[in-house]
Amino acid sequence: MESNDLKVMFFLAYKNLTKSKITFMVIVAVMAMSFLSITFFASIIDGLGYEFEEGMIRGQTGHLMIEPQEDDLYISGSGDLVKDIRRIPGVVGVARRLDASAVARYETIEIGNPVLFIEPENEKDVSDYWSSIIAGEYLSERDTDELLIGANLVKSYAAEGDTQKRFDVDVGDKITLSFSNGFVKEYRIKGIYKTGSRFVDDKIIINFDQYQLIFGPTEDIASNILIALPQRGMEGSYTEKIIDLGVSEQINKWQTKMGAVNQFVGSLQITNQITGTIGLLTAFATIYIIIFINVTNKRKQIGILKAIGIKKQIIMGSYVLQSLAYGITGVIIGNIVMKLLLLLLSIHPLSMPIGQVVPILTTERLMTTSATLILASIVAGFFPSRKAADENILDAIFGG
Amino acid sequence: MKKAMIQTVHLERVYATGAVKTYALRDISIEINEGEFVAIMGKSGSGKSTLLHQLGLLDKPTKGSIIIDGNDVINISEKERTRFRLYELGYVFQSYNLIPELTALENVYITAMARNLKRDEYEKMAEEILAAVGLEDRMYHYPSELSGGQQQRVSIARALVNKPKILFADEPTANLDSASSEDVINLFRKFNEEIGQTIVMVTHEKDEGDKADRIIWVKDGLLDMEKNAGYLI
Ligand SMILES: Nc1ncnc2c1ncn2[C@@H]1O[C@H](COP(=O)(O)OP(=O)(O)O)[C@@H](O)[C@H]1O
Ligand SMILES: [Mg+2]
Repeated sequence: MESNDLKVMFFLAYKNLTKSKITFMVIVAVMAMSFLSITFFASIIDGLGYEFEEGMIRGQTGHLMIEPQEDDLYISGSGDLVKDIRRIPGVVGVARRLDASAVARYETIEIGNPVLFIEPENEKDVSDYWSSIIAGEYLSERDTDELLIGANLVKSYAAEGDTQKRFDVDVGDKITLSFSNGFVKEYRIKGIYKTGSRFVDDKIIINFDQYQLIFGPTEDIASNILIALPQRGMEGSYTEKIIDLGVSEQINKWQTKMGAVNQFVGSLQITNQITGTIGLLTAFATIYIIIFINVTNKRKQIGILKAIGIKKQIIMGSYVLQSLAYGITGVIIGNIVMKLLLLLLSIHPLSMPIGQVVPILTTERLMTTSATLILASIVAGFFPSRKAADENILDAIFGG
Repeated sequence: MKKAMIQTVHLERVYATGAVKTYALRDISIEINEGEFVAIMGKSGSGKSTLLHQLGLLDKPTKGSIIIDGNDVINISEKERTRFRLYELGYVFQSYNLIPELTALENVYITAMARNLKRDEYEKMAEEILAAVGLEDRMYHYPSELSGGQQQRVSIARALVNKPKILFADEPTANLDSASSEDVINLFRKFNEEIGQTIVMVTHEKDEGDKADRIIWVKDGLLDMEKNAGYLI
């Protein structure tokens, strides 16, 4: 192949592309749509999985969660532990919690329910309750007779036709809590929260100090301590730093705590892999077929070019170049449209039952999809044009 | 002393379609000299096109040999045959066969471009030959914007732009009205007389054949000896 051959190749490809603009646009549109159909759905699923995990992290587990060893019920000396951990550079937030349960009563309705004891200010650093208040206000450190209630327990936030037992309450109403030790106290609803996660929105939340009032003096105990890190993926190194403090309790990563949820997200990802692969194969086939038909339609042209003495390699090369142009343009347009969609959806996230889902397009998926589609177009340009270029000249021209 | 440009020896082309064998050419031995304008005539189906396809290296005979300007063009590689078509032969089809995506000028210069010439060289060559066929004002038109006669003149220009040793034309006027047909034949005469272009043209019009230096009559894949007798030079 000489440089002049390349010149003729580019010339023929350029003329074919620019003279058949409709063909060009149709093929590029198919390419771009294939790209979008693969990446868009996948990115929503990935975003869904991410949001699901984030909901757990920002409601249940933090990035790291310190829990008592198997035999113990509580972590003791938790106040000092919180202070020590907070001193580790980079730690975003540390908050301790206590769990109990109580029977909650409003008018004639009684519901047995988990009660979460929190330190309102510390809690802000590790969870999203504070930003999820949809009516009333978040707890302050000094609130003694106030509680927060999850939207799942409140009738006015139930879906239509929902038959689950709920309280017909609003902010300011008073709910009576009866604890297992017989302690009974009335609390005023200060705020109603809704994080969007079914697992989180069914708790009653009161101040950490209330635990001592209800159950008597303790040795500064906590059921668990949540730790927020700058971002995911740093769990391992921070676990070591916490162990270095001499902590003998269990230090669990959010991934470990997720259990079933993790499995759910895992199977979501597998589903995504499968549909993604099928999508790629379908796109590959579609692109192959349209380019194949296009090249097959150029059979006569290929015959004429051979008849006037143009080398086979030049002819094939010009078709591969054309296909490459379809592929690259389609992928670029697909990328641009996808970027715009992602931008739009990051400004206006999709509201889903689990929360606000922002699609996530991983670089890996972007690269595989782009590469596969471009590869498909090269293959689709190569084989049919080779077939046509290998054909008998007269058959190609006269359609033998 | 005239130099032989084309020689064929016992040329045979058999088409085998399943069990059926069609002898398009049975045994053709001819000689055409440099600078000759030869017409090939005969009834439809007699093998004229098949003969021209063999001479133009668009097809390969099942038997026999073809020598063009001293070169055996049968027992050479496909690559060399392609090169031969580009540099030494020009072919004009009945149905023009221009590339629809290229302008008249581009259709003509594509073959010159393929010869590794510089842009201004091949453009100049194409412009000159298009002017010679009377299309200087149609150079930037696409085939779809040209009449049949104009398209055929573009295809003649394309066939001649590389100054081939031989110009082949297979019923070049069959799709044209009589005025355009006359233009084409007159162009052939002109190139033959002015630059000594060797031309081999298939035609079924007796008056076109008569404009050639010689007619080779073909019948059932063989030379028609009876008719050729009268035309032998
Ligand atoms: N590709 C082919 N396959 C089978 N038979 C063919 C093919 N091409 C030509 N023929 C046959 O060969 C004979 C000569 O055809 P052709 O050279 O086209 O004749 P002409 O050009 O004189 O009309 C005819 O009988 C024709 O049917
Ligand atoms: Mg014919």
